[in-house]
Amino acid sequence: MKARSAFAFLTPFLAVFTLFSLLPLALSILLSFLDWSPLNPEQAGWVGFGHYARALHEPRFWGALRNTFFFVAGTIPLTTTLALGLALLVRLPLKLRTLFRAGFFVPSVVSMVVISLIWKHLYAPFGGMNALLGWLGIPPQRWLLDPELALPAVMAMDVWASVGYYMVLYLAGLETIPAELYEAASLDGAGFWARLRHITWPALKPMTLFILVVNTMRSFQIFVEVFVMTGGGPMHATETVVLYLYDAAFHQFRMGYASAVAYLLFAILAVFSLLELKWLRSEQRTLA
Amino acid sequence: MRGTPFGPILALLALAGLVAGAGCGRKGGNDQASGQQEVTFWHFWRQEWITPLITEFERRNPDIHVVDEQLTWQAGQEKIQAAIAAGQAPDLCELGSTWLPRFAASGALMDVTPIADSLRGEIGHWEPAMQGGRVYGLPWVVGTRALFWNRALFRAAGLDTTRAPATWEELLQAATRLSARPGVKGFGLNAGERYVLFKKFMPFAWGNGGEILTPDGQRAAFDSPANAAALAFYVQLAKQSLIEKQDVIDRAFMDSQVGMMISGAWNLRVFAEQAPGLEFDVALIPRPAPKRGRHASFAGGEYLVVFARSQAVDAATRLARYLIGRDAAVALCRAARSVQPAAMGAEDDPYYRSQPKDRLFVEQLATAVAPPPHPRWGEMEEALDHEIEGALYGRKTPAAAVRDAGSAIDALLAEDRR
Repeated sequence: MKARSAFAFLTPFLAVFTLFSLLPLALSILLSFLDWSPLNPEQAGWVGFGHYARALHEPRFWGALRNTFFFVAGTIPLTTTLALGLALLVRLPLKLRTLFRAGFFVPSVVSMVVISLIWKHLYAPFGGMNALLGWLGIPPQRWLLDPELALPAVMAMDVWASVGYYMVLYLAGLETIPAELYEAASLDGAGFWARLRHITWPALKPMTLFILVVNTMRSFQIFVEVFVMTGGGPMHATETVVLYLYDAAFHQFRMGYASAVAYLLFAILAVFSLLELKWLRSEQRTLA
Repeated sequence: MRGTPFGPILALLALAGLVAGAGCGRKGGNDQASGQQEVTFWHFWRQEWITPLITEFERRNPDIHVVDEQLTWQAGQEKIQAAIAAGQAPDLCELGSTWLPRFAASGALMDVTPIADSLRGEIGHWEPAMQGGRVYGLPWVVGTRALFWNRALFRAAGLDTTRAPATWEELLQAATRLSARPGVKGFGLNAGERYVLFKKFMPFAWGNGGEILTPDGQRAAFDSPANAAALAFYVQLAKQSLIEKQDVIDRAFMDSQVGMMISGAWNLRVFAEQAPGLEFDVALIPRPAPKRGRHASFAGGEYLVVFARSQAVDAATRLARYLIGRDAAVALCRAARSVQPAAMGAEDDPYYRSQPKDRLFVEQLATAVAPPPHPRWGEMEEALDHEIEGALYGRKTPAAAVRDAGSAIDALLAEDRR
């Protein structure tokens, strides 16, 4: 009886989830084994694992994968460290503390498209970044057009834009640490670094792992930033896996191939997330 | 490709996933109550430019009601393909010449060869709309690129202000002299974005006798001494250039930070609105040497296509015939000032006689070249852009870049034949 009414309450969610998430998901698996163009929807040819094999032999796929890994490996440690640093800073009894907290968090509630457009202007040849460099006596850079600089430039923006959200998560984590621990440590003569290392960091570990998992999933699927700012260029230097599959699907009309690439990304992402979750669980056990 | 029973399932997927971004298109057809035919029409123009034409058409054809919708350049193609997949395509749609071949080859477009045959004396530029000898689109407006030059900067640099550079050597010399002035770059050269790069480089390659495909369209012809020489020149020109995206270059030209650029007629409208004092002129794109090669340029166009599934073919073709007609096309081109009518003899229209800069674009069109109307042109273009950019960034020699572009195109052609 109880189960039945619970199910009734769940039905609205389940219906929407099935129709708009589960079903398209299942169909896209099917699609990844087909040769299908939306221009010709009645025609579809079975190609088996052909698209998967094709992707693994495609230099552009590997380039996109390399860029994505570079993005993930470059932004996540930086974002996480900065988020913790900021969380510690805005907990200090500063004047205007609320203003700082809000200020760092604001980018998280602004659309990524808007942020990307603003940064595109900052990186423009006569834009803010080059003006800043000019004051420092450094020659102007071709931020988004230099194959070496374009991806790091996008990554810098992403760190700036996402750090506030993780800072708030860390703030919540910091609230849970009992003040007595710090008092006791201070009595024992522990300085700032000792307290950070032996109290704050271990106590925040579950939060850190949560942040890592969430941020990994988000960063592997990076799209809007590069789509708006560089379109994957110059010379595919900023082309990420999702941008690549978008291009295959919506510019080349290779829906099946694009789906296969999406599932390859899904497989990589699943492995990473499982490893992180396993780590998270083992850490929770040691804490408990 | 063979047919399979997946069709209905895929249509369902399309409905669930794709149409979310497509809004709801209405099918054309007969309205029983009023006896009026409804025709849906998707285009890329500002409402203030297109509405007067549609109003006039409806006045002349009281039995037809046009439901039009403006697409954006950023998302238009996605929206069209989602609509096709969902069976919600409009009756009449505007398509760019570089997109049309793929849509035509997929069977989504109605064969309009009989209409084309009846219009051949009045309208030009059919080639990009043809697949296998049949016609799948009606030429509406065409556009090309020409050389813009800033006369005031030329004067300040002590250059000839009576005429623009006409050869590669003159172009490079002028660019070098202009770049010597503080805060000025001689030329604006495109990089870092889609759909643009090859349109700016190919004029030099085509002008030098280079080609992209063999005349029969079966093999790549890109790896040639003519193309390598053109690319080598382009790389040299790049050293005197602001290498940027189109909007930045247009802006820099407007601000007299760039002395010359290759760009489109839309700047005639933009500069008149935003920089009325700018002392500039337009000229044919320089050719290799005084008596060698051609003043080639890129030719593109907008075509009107009827979707194969349309329920309002008659109304759609009547609307298309009206829109591509000389009067309507000239009116549109006058308002938009970015393209020229595909209708023949438009350059004799009083408007073009009174506008020498607009007229120059019509003149440039005569020696402009359209990219091959191949269904996989989009991917070929991508390969070209990639290799041209590689040479510009010094990653490859021009000879290696044209060779690699040629083999990339050959690989696409081979895949397409399979």
